[in-house]
Amino acid sequence: MDLALFWIPAVVALVSTGFVITRKNASHALIYLVVSLLSVAVIFFVLGAPFAAALEVVIYAGAIVVLFLFVVMMLNLGKTSVMRESRWMRPGMWIGPAVLVSILLITMVYVISGMPDASVTRGEVVGPKTVGIQLFQPYLLAVELAGFLLLAALIGAYHLGRRYLEQRREP
Amino acid sequence: MLEYLWLVPALPLVGFFVLFVTEGKLPDKLVGVIGAGSVGLAALVALGAGAEFVQSGEGSYAQSLWIWMAVGNFTPSITLYLDPLSLVMTGVITGVGFLIHLFATGYMWKDHEEPEGLSRFFAYMNLFVFAMLMLVLGDNLLVLFLGWEGVGLCSYLLIGFYHRDPENGYAARKAFVVTRVGDTLMAIGLFLLFRELGTLDIQTALGDTGQLDPGMATAIGLLLLGGAVGKSAQVPLQTWLPDAMAGPTPVSALIHAATMVTAGVYLIARMKGIYELAPVAQFAVAIVGLVTLLISSFTALTQTDIKRILAYSTMSQIGYMFMALGVGAWSAGIFHLMTHAFFKALLFLASGSVILALHHEQDIHKMGGLWRKLPVPFASMLIGSLALVALPLTSGFYSKDAILLTAWEHDTGRWFWAGGVLAAFMTALYTTRMMVVAFFGETKTEPDDASRINMWGPLVVLCVLSIAGGWMGIGVLDGLLGPLGEFSHTDPVAVTTVALPIFGVLLGWLVFSGRLDLSTLVASSFGDALRRFWQSGWAFDWVYDRLFVKPFLWVARVNKRDIVDLVFRITASVTRGFHHVGALTQTGRLRWYAANMAIGLIVVFLIVASV
Amino acid sequence: MAIEVPVEQVLMVAAGLFLLGLLGVLVRRNIIFLLMSLEVMMNAAGLAFIAAGAKWGAPDGQIMFMLILALAAAEVAVALGLVLQISRRFDTLDVDAASELNG
Repeated sequence: MDLALFWIPAVVALVSTGFVITRKNASHALIYLVVSLLSVAVIFFVLGAPFAAALEVVIYAGAIVVLFLFVVMMLNLGKTSVMRESRWMRPGMWIGPAVLVSILLITMVYVISGMPDASVTRGEVVGPKTVGIQLFQPYLLAVELAGFLLLAALIGAYHLGRRYLEQRREP
Repeated sequence: MLEYLWLVPALPLVGFFVLFVTEGKLPDKLVGVIGAGSVGLAALVALGAGAEFVQSGEGSYAQSLWIWMAVGNFTPSITLYLDPLSLVMTGVITGVGFLIHLFATGYMWKDHEEPEGLSRFFAYMNLFVFAMLMLVLGDNLLVLFLGWEGVGLCSYLLIGFYHRDPENGYAARKAFVVTRVGDTLMAIGLFLLFRELGTLDIQTALGDTGQLDPGMATAIGLLLLGGAVGKSAQVPLQTWLPDAMAGPTPVSALIHAATMVTAGVYLIARMKGIYELAPVAQFAVAIVGLVTLLISSFTALTQTDIKRILAYSTMSQIGYMFMALGVGAWSAGIFHLMTHAFFKALLFLASGSVILALHHEQDIHKMGGLWRKLPVPFASMLIGSLALVALPLTSGFYSKDAILLTAWEHDTGRWFWAGGVLAAFMTALYTTRMMVVAFFGETKTEPDDASRINMWGPLVVLCVLSIAGGWMGIGVLDGLLGPLGEFSHTDPVAVTTVALPIFGVLLGWLVFSGRLDLSTLVASSFGDALRRFWQSGWAFDWVYDRLFVKPFLWVARVNKRDIVDLVFRITASVTRGFHHVGALTQTGRLRWYAANMAIGLIVVFLIVASV
Repeated sequence: MAIEVPVEQVLMVAAGLFLLGLLGVLVRRNIIFLLMSLEVMMNAAGLAFIAAGAKWGAPDGQIMFMLILALAAAEVAVALGLVLQISRRFDTLDVDAASELNG
């Protein structure tokens, strides 16, 4: 019975992800992506990682998806783009990637099920306090590096975006 | 002063660096001061260190500076080693070297083609002095080899000093390539020595010579002799020295008469322990000396260029030194090295004054009657010639006499004595010819004497040394190097040894001043052929040209496309082919790359699963 | 509140999400969808880390997830800037149009 708590969000996540990659309208796909991310957040919560679940909701479903939404709005993807998508996504195009991915799925399932000591999760909650203590003691260097990465991304995104905006203003 | 021994090589090195780094931007006067001054200071330090060394009465003094490198049990150290042999060499290099540098400040003053020429000249000269000092002071054969190659490089640079004339560049290249043949042999000899004894440290190696089997000692001795022959211009690698006279005259005096060409003598004397184990190699040294001695003294008789006469004379005098080492007259050989450095430097510098006064006229037949007009060079030439001919009481007499009389007593030695005396006679003949033709008779070119004190000063000092060097040698060197031997000067052998050169001088005087007419003999077809044969240096150049140069050029022409290179060209084209194939996978399509990554992932998972 | 779940099952779900993302990357030509699929793949990797952390009851899995989160945020910021540039230069969102970097 308890496993249902895990499998219900898992199925929701898989199904909504399937919709993400098949939608023609970018806004619709984004909504499905939010659903997928939220259900993964539920899985995190079930597995005893409430802090990660919160971050998943706040940053993934919140910040990142909103960023996507902004760009979709800026590019003004309307009806024409939906038609273009259907032109680009002919059924025949799915065959090759699907075969490839199925083979990968089979091998992955084979490897995972063949793991030597099958085990279950502890079922205990690891709270934000523990995570924070770990994060700022042994992983401090990784946090610093992540900070560098974000700074570089900030500058890079500013640089790329600025030129776009300036050149659009010209005419 | 002994602890400042390291300053002796360091000072010329500093001089070189200063002149090298400033690239000729210094005023000429300062260049002269640095160039000559650094060697002069080194001479003073060497004098002080030498005096203290002699007073201390120790057999040797070693000053360890640092370990060059440490590779396993191969740890050559940079150590300066002073013993009587290296002391004599150091004295000659710094002392005579300083006088020649001083002379060169006058000789080279206006005599360079480029504005920075003077600076370049003294930079090379200082570098040469440094390298030569490392050669003689190094306690390790590797350091010796470093100096050996260093002097070779400087010799190359200075022979080609007037580089605007391609002929000089060719002469420099010839000197470099021919000595390289000898250096290769020497390097192989050093490898063998290291393989056998596990060290290149000279004193350690000489202490361990007992471990060498006689065959190996002979091989090493002969290989080292090969190096010595190349450097000292002995048969069969002698052909470069006459051409090396293309360099400025002070270079000829310093490098190609007083110091570098005697490096071979030094090497053999230094490795005495090896040669004493290998009588065959030692005999070969004597033979090389004798053959060179005879060939070059006959050749000198026919040359017309004053510097080439002196070059052949240098070869023959070094031949005496080799012969001395070969017959076991070790200290006499080194003694002759020293006296030869004095009088040959004197001869070269004096001829340099003459050449400068005649605006680069080197043909003795175009000189004539100079004795009245150039008194200082004439007097210097005369004194140098007397020493070269080894007339009694000059320095050359003592050293050459010691060599010849030791050769007489050597078990196989009568032939060496006979050859040596014959060559001494020839020496007298060609020296008299040079003096008579160049300085007497009627004036053919008006000289223009502009020499100053910095030019005739060194000449005077060298004159004194050429005369007094012999007595000094008897007094000081006897104690340092070991006895020269006791010789009676009254028995017939000794009298012949002394008398033949005097007879040669007289005969030369009669013939070349025209009092005894031999022109019919010389003009006969046989005489003419013989003269041309001698003048070409016994046709060695012709033979080498046919034997080595022409075949080499032929092979080079045939193998223009370089067969060996084919292998590398194939490698390159195969690599390029693979590159083209690899480039095909670079479609620029992102999804194609992603698909490939997925395939790679499958492979990785399969590997994981199968393990 | 937490329950005990077999780790294999969580990993299976993570693999499923990952492969759906990969399928999206392989099939879609529109860069926006491609980036969304990439987000899904990274999210799947995060899920696997969380599962591993939960198995040992250790916080390290969550920390790795947070680092992935930082990576995803950085990637999205730069990638969306690139999307703007590509849509301007090539006047399309087709990734295959931007294939000038070929051999």
